[in-house]
Amino acid sequence: MSAISELRTLSTKRRGPRPTAVTNLRKSDGRAAAVFLAPWFLGLFAITLFPLGASAYLSFTRYDMLSAPQWVGLQNFVDMVHDPRLLQSLRVTFTYVVTGVPLQLVAALAIAVLLNQGMRGLAFYRSVVYLPSLMGGSVAIAILWRQVFGEDGLVNKALGVFGIEGMGWVSNPDTALWTIVLLHVWTFGSPMVIFLAGLRQIPDMYYEAAQLDGASKWRQFRSVTLPLLSPIIFFNLVMQVITAFQAFTQAYVVSGGTGGPSDSTLFYTLYLYQEGFQNLRMGYASAMAWVLVLIVLAMTGANFLLSKFWVFYED
Amino acid sequence: MSTTTLPPGGLRPRTTDLAAQVPARRRRGRWRGRTGSAIRHTAMILGCLVMIYPVLWLLGSSFKPTSLIFRELSIFPSEWDWTNYSVGWNSLTYQFGRYMLNSLAIVGGALLGNLVTCAMAGYAFARLRFRGRNIWFTIMLITIMLPIHVIIVPQYVMFQRLDLVNTFWPLIVPKLLATDAFFIFLMVQFFRGIPRELEEAARLDGCGHARIFLRVMLPLAVPALATTAIFTFIWTWNDFFSQLIFLTSDDVKTAPLALKMFTDSTSGSNWGPQFAMSIVTIIPLFLIFLFGQKYLVKGIATTGIK
Amino acid sequence: MSQSMNRRAMRAGSAAVAALLAIGLTSCAATSNGATSADGGSSGDGAGSGEKVTIKFAWWGSDSRVASTQQIIDAFEAENPDIHVEPVSTSWDDYFEKMNVMAAGNDLPDVMTQDDRYLTEYASRGLLADLASLDVDTSKVDQSVVDTGKIDDTLYGIATGVNVHAVVADPAVFEQAGVALPDDTTWTWEDYSDIAAQITAATGGSAYGVQNYSFIEPVLAIYARQHGEEIFTKDGAIGVSPETIESWFQRTVDQIASQAEPSAETATEIQGAGVDGSLPSTNKGAMAWFWSNQLSAIEKSAGRPLTLLRAPGDSEFERTGEYLRAAMYYAVSAKSEHPAEAAKFVDFMLNSQTAGDINLTDRGLPANLEVREAILPKLSDADKTSAAFIESLTDDGTFADSKPVPPKGSGEVSDITGRINSDVIFGKITPADAAQRWIDEVNKAIGQ
Repeated sequence: MSAISELRTLSTKRRGPRPTAVTNLRKSDGRAAAVFLAPWFLGLFAITLFPLGASAYLSFTRYDMLSAPQWVGLQNFVDMVHDPRLLQSLRVTFTYVVTGVPLQLVAALAIAVLLNQGMRGLAFYRSVVYLPSLMGGSVAIAILWRQVFGEDGLVNKALGVFGIEGMGWVSNPDTALWTIVLLHVWTFGSPMVIFLAGLRQIPDMYYEAAQLDGASKWRQFRSVTLPLLSPIIFFNLVMQVITAFQAFTQAYVVSGGTGGPSDSTLFYTLYLYQEGFQNLRMGYASAMAWVLVLIVLAMTGANFLLSKFWVFYED
Repeated sequence: MSTTTLPPGGLRPRTTDLAAQVPARRRRGRWRGRTGSAIRHTAMILGCLVMIYPVLWLLGSSFKPTSLIFRELSIFPSEWDWTNYSVGWNSLTYQFGRYMLNSLAIVGGALLGNLVTCAMAGYAFARLRFRGRNIWFTIMLITIMLPIHVIIVPQYVMFQRLDLVNTFWPLIVPKLLATDAFFIFLMVQFFRGIPRELEEAARLDGCGHARIFLRVMLPLAVPALATTAIFTFIWTWNDFFSQLIFLTSDDVKTAPLALKMFTDSTSGSNWGPQFAMSIVTIIPLFLIFLFGQKYLVKGIATTGIK
Repeated sequence: MSQSMNRRAMRAGSAAVAALLAIGLTSCAATSNGATSADGGSSGDGAGSGEKVTIKFAWWGSDSRVASTQQIIDAFEAENPDIHVEPVSTSWDDYFEKMNVMAAGNDLPDVMTQDDRYLTEYASRGLLADLASLDVDTSKVDQSVVDTGKIDDTLYGIATGVNVHAVVADPAVFEQAGVALPDDTTWTWEDYSDIAAQITAATGGSAYGVQNYSFIEPVLAIYARQHGEEIFTKDGAIGVSPETIESWFQRTVDQIASQAEPSAETATEIQGAGVDGSLPSTNKGAMAWFWSNQLSAIEKSAGRPLTLLRAPGDSEFERTGEYLRAAMYYAVSAKSEHPAEAAKFVDFMLNSQTAGDINLTDRGLPANLEVREAILPKLSDADKTSAAFIESLTDDGTFADSKPVPPKGSGEVSDITGRINSDVIFGKITPADAAQRWIDEVNKAIGQ
């Protein structure tokens, strides 16, 4: 995968001739790697690989958890093609990923930049801004969301002030998904923290130089902040895409586990969960899981490929 | 993402020259005046109110009688019910503090695991060259791409065979063995931000990998470790699903599991005590973040200083 | 043939994994089955043998049920000092995902409460013991209630208590609207719709006539029975006609049009809010469909007395539609190492007055008629209302026959019904299309 080739070019990039001490150390890399990766390898083989392999095996079976799996070959994958709810869940998930991830990242970056200015009480503001992310999958969110986006909710009360008649945002199939996208954007805490960290890493001298050049704030942002922050943006993008494809909790909580109304918030993982745990089709759910892995792998691969054009590493 | 007009490589030589001429001064920007500052603080506070609304609502609702929670939009209770907290704390099999301690025990194990083993793995992937690294790295990424829901069943079967179900081990052992690839990737990205010169100087001094890792990389990666620590704390604390599957009896239940015991969708739920205890469980998270984030941001800044 | 090659290769490749899984899934069964007869037999008879036996008991419910169940367990342990009962409890939402995973690990609790949705699934896969072969006294339970837990003449679950699906009505809203409470022994579906529309109109929309019913599978079951049909026949096939389903959905569409019930959006919101957010719970409507044992929770939210009405149309068609349903079942794991002790515990839960006095109607109106009689005076007003309601239906011979036990896969019907109803109320499909889709999807779910 391109990520790795990129990693490799990076690590092989040498500056000038290398003294023998360093070369010797390079030779011992293999052994050192074995040591440093020992816990990870142990975890991989003892803990991760078995469930990984088991789920791969189960994807070729009919498995209800209550009795032993039965081999059905590719049947699960064939069934997926003819499953309208699966297609719906893909539609929902892609819409969510394509809108929610960029919006959340932009929000996280904007707030991080704002909170990076010299200002009193920033520590407090930063913590406050992180609060929605702390609430996570609390069931309270479900009730809150209804009270905010319900027919008699706050949003409609606010709209009423301007004479606009609202609607039941959470309960309308046309808008329900967008309230969850909004919920996602709102919980931007984690990527924001990482952005903030990245921003602090950019040495002031670059900005000072840019100021001497008479660059505007916007130009400074584009020419200094963005390129120097790109590895962090990249990390957030990759991880957010991966986690957004697996989005589950928010839809589960807001829709009461149904993915409703009318399957409008039926996220892929939510459907997978319904099939596996509620309808006892764990074989089918495993097949879905591996299709998801392929999709996410493709997206991640594309991300790594494209990163060549916009991500700059300092070393 | 728009492509950048000025790659840093091109910028660097000139900026370093210029930086030498310009005395170091703090960037204050145009918001220097008092009025500007006041306006800005007002804007920040308004923005914060939007962000903090859910928590204020939760806090307000935790003082409402359960029957009012559904009917009243206002944050301020029209009728105060102070008993939610005492009822919530005392009405489960154990006092609520017991469940919080259980959560803390798991968080502690997870912290130790993620900090030590993810950093080690991250160092190997970021700095060491070894055969099959591409493949291992890809496999590592794949392990975070599989939804937990299909992994949990084989995992349960496995831990059940080992007779470890209903203990904290199924929740801690995986972290001790660096199965949380998010943090490995995070460490990789941060290690790559550390200038190689430092490391190579150490190598010339005859340091081995162990010493480079411990004496050079780890101190420089303190911010990344802080990030890992904070996120591990929060995410492990909130991780409902695997705790539900692996923990069964009341004495090992965690705070999120205990919270769920106030709800019953087949009949009425005790929302008042539930919300009260939700507030209680958020407090440690907020404190960890409040104190941790200073350290995290400041720490990261140090890696930028060469 | 290349396919079979592939298949073989894949099989070989995953052999190790399969073997491991198989160990997890079957080996335990073998050993514990072996242990069952020896162990269970000896400890059941030899009271003073000294060994303390631990059994696990799993149930769903919130904190109040956790506390009351612990009391019952304490009382049981006091009577049976050689048995220790370890509680396993989760909320309803999480219960079966936990049970399913435990089943996958061959780790089911000795005693568990079961639900209609999964009783057949578990029983048909040999996970539950035949209670008739264990020492559980069911003589005090009405035979038709005992039968609800029988599949192919084997008793897999014993009803903890009974429920009826009925209309929860708020007399205060009726009064506010100036509409008289209907005579529920004679009212028709037309009356139901008319009354509902009148209430909405009379209150100027501050209260609705009725909450949408077509999210709710049991209402369809009642409606089908009134038309001489059943959702599932005794053979486990769909027994309800498309015409019946269509007319059932059509009433919803008509009622939304006449504002007898809330708009699609509001209905969805209310449905999502569950018991606590229903129309009667929030004083915003006159009627809604619920299980009789949910009355007390709704009344608690409403803060004023509510009442129960029989299903409309019970005197209108071929027969009555109301049926007695087990609130939940006690079941014993087929792989329990201590079936005798497990049975003893089930017997205690079912038949002891001590347990009955603590449980009251928490697990439905007690199935044991003697226990039921004895607890009646101790009930809250709401519970007295629902107990009297069931009593009067029983006396009138309304429960002529019991509803056949649904087939494997029938658990999905509830979700399917709710999903299709969403499409109906938002006008995405017509009631006729909805009926056809309902039949197609249910057939798929039960594997036909």
